[in-house]
Amino acid sequence: MPDRHIVELTDVKLITCVLQNGLAEEVLEAAKNVGVQGATVSFARGTGIRDRMGLMGVTVDEQKEVIRIIVSEEQAPRVFDAMYLAGKLDTPGKGIMYIADLNSVATYVPEDVLNSATDKE
Amino acid sequence: MRYGTFLSRYKIRHTKISYNDLTPKPDSERIESLRPARIKVSLRYALGLLRPYLQTRFMEQVKAVVPLALYATLFQIFVLQYPVQAATTLLVGLLAVIVGLAAFMEGLNSGLMPFGNVIGSNLPQKASMPVVLIIIGMLGVGVTFAEPAIGALQAFGSSVDVKQAPYLFEVLNNWTVPLVLIVGAGVGLAAIFGTLRFVYGWSLKPLIFFALAPSALLTIYFWTVPDLKSVLGLAWDCGAVTTGPVTVPLVLAMGIGIANSAGKGGSTLSGFGIVTLASLFPVTAVLLLTLFVFFQITPAEIIANANAASASAGSVVSMWDQTPAVEIVLGVRAILPLVIFLFLVLFFILKVKLSNKLVTIYGLVLCVVGMCIFNLGLTYGLGAIGTQTGQSLPAAFIQLPIIESSPIFSKEIGIALVIGFALILGFGATLAEPALNALGLTVQKLTNGAFKKSMLMYSVASGVSIGISLGVAKLVLNLDLATILLPLYGLGVVLTIFSSEEFVNVAWDSAGVTTGPVTVPLVLAMGLGLGSAVSAVEGFGILSLASICPIIAVLSMGIIIQINQSRNSSKQNAELKEIENA
Repeated sequence: MPDRHIVELTDVKLITCVLQNGLAEEVLEAAKNVGVQGATVSFARGTGIRDRMGLMGVTVDEQKEVIRIIVSEEQAPRVFDAMYLAGKLDTPGKGIMYIADLNSVATYVPEDVLNSATDKE
Repeated sequence: MRYGTFLSRYKIRHTKISYNDLTPKPDSERIESLRPARIKVSLRYALGLLRPYLQTRFMEQVKAVVPLALYATLFQIFVLQYPVQAATTLLVGLLAVIVGLAAFMEGLNSGLMPFGNVIGSNLPQKASMPVVLIIIGMLGVGVTFAEPAIGALQAFGSSVDVKQAPYLFEVLNNWTVPLVLIVGAGVGLAAIFGTLRFVYGWSLKPLIFFALAPSALLTIYFWTVPDLKSVLGLAWDCGAVTTGPVTVPLVLAMGIGIANSAGKGGSTLSGFGIVTLASLFPVTAVLLLTLFVFFQITPAEIIANANAASASAGSVVSMWDQTPAVEIVLGVRAILPLVIFLFLVLFFILKVKLSNKLVTIYGLVLCVVGMCIFNLGLTYGLGAIGTQTGQSLPAAFIQLPIIESSPIFSKEIGIALVIGFALILGFGATLAEPALNALGLTVQKLTNGAFKKSMLMYSVASGVSIGISLGVAKLVLNLDLATILLPLYGLGVVLTIFSSEEFVNVAWDSAGVTTGPVTVPLVLAMGLGLGSAVSAVEGFGILSLASICPIIAVLSMGIIIQINQSRNSSKQNAELKEIENA
């Protein structure tokens, strides 16, 4: 029977950031500056606020960009803060973000990275 | 800003609050208590939201309008040495164009587009196919009236000399409503065929030939009749005028919605084709209308009527014929029929309620207001700049009374300079058109990167610039439009036969996309001004040439790409064979 190997990563967090259309680039750049490997960006449509504000709702774009980034537990607060500040989420209408725990993450892990990780233990 | 900079400059403070404390709790006395309340927006909060909202929309139009206007005026001042006339009015007019377009586009997105989407996705379930097609056809007429650039056609009608081109004058001045109606009918027919194409997956090639044949035959006939010849430019220009920012998205939204609910959507090519047909059918329609007028009235009668009209016009000018009232009436008349028609379809055929009435009404009001402001700007801003530049351009090579030092250059250099001016104008105006960027992205996806976005944008832009300069050359050198247009379309047809379906779709649609609400009035006014300055019979025809040239450019580019790909694959095959043999 051929031997297959799955590397599972633990201590992983998922940061999701829902932003007003057009803000993703800046936030991604900030995330990369603090050590994020990569991100998934998708388009989405938001509802709620827009309908509850009456006429002022037209100023809120229905189109959203959703950034999903997988980070280590140690990185998480740093990346979270950097993204929050870059997206200026402390102003109304910009977006929302959250961190979630991931139990186990599996992907391709390069040989040398794997060796250095196991050496440390 | 880097995170490190934040760290060195600010102290970041985290406050934790339990979300439990914020969410609504069940209250037996108030049943509605769980539903989130309406948000009250304070003034400061509102300003914070409004500023970026207004800014992005305003800047979008500034980018489209200012460079073009600047280029035309600077050329006029420095090369033609003709100072800008009525500069303050021009500036206010341009501002009106920018504000009007920004308001109109926003109104279109938040008011009219939801209608189109709701109707497109619901109509096929509630009505039979013939009813759907009739509604789509009527919508074509409505959107044509609402197209901002169509106002430009009507605005420039009075500048035609009745003695030289009686039928052109008659159609533009006394048949304006039938003219727009028949152009609309052409667009409606195009929308019907385009939708049928979506649903049944027809190829675009035979449709193009089928749409081109009658207009080509009529053009040849008109060409042989001296009185009718002058209408050709207008007819072919109408095709370019119709495919603007209202028609394209609204008709597309409905067509795609119908194709999706018929289960035939999802093809990468669905969405293309309607624009092509909507720029071809109106040509035939306008030619037919002129033919009808031709059998109704003789040139002598038209001239007599025009003289009588100009004699009586001086005495009674009603309040409604003066600016700004006339622009406002035009604006309301453009949008209202479309809105009423959409409402009727929504309430009596679909019986669907709109999700957000307040926003829809806001959008519709914005549409009407924007259209009125845009019409004002058209008269005082874009149209005036175009006319001024057009009128002073010939000073480069002939003696003009308005410019003392004219002719500024020798005849050959002057004409070359004017054509060069047109080349750059066309190139810049096209690259600034936001619709082209969107088309480029779609095409890149469609061809899996074989046809790059920049490649499409540059081939369309060079096509348009060559087209506009050909049109200017036609006016300056007094060439015959039909003798340029027919061979070019012939070339387009030949290239179409040899191209693959994807490139045919992209190429023919790119022509309609390039002629937006800023380019059309500017180029039309410039052509008419230039035409009157060099005493040409009529100044139309530039836009029609600016439509066919990018088609040829994109088709040739597509064929080059096809040849390259097949050469590459045959090379690879040969290499594989060699390896096998070895």
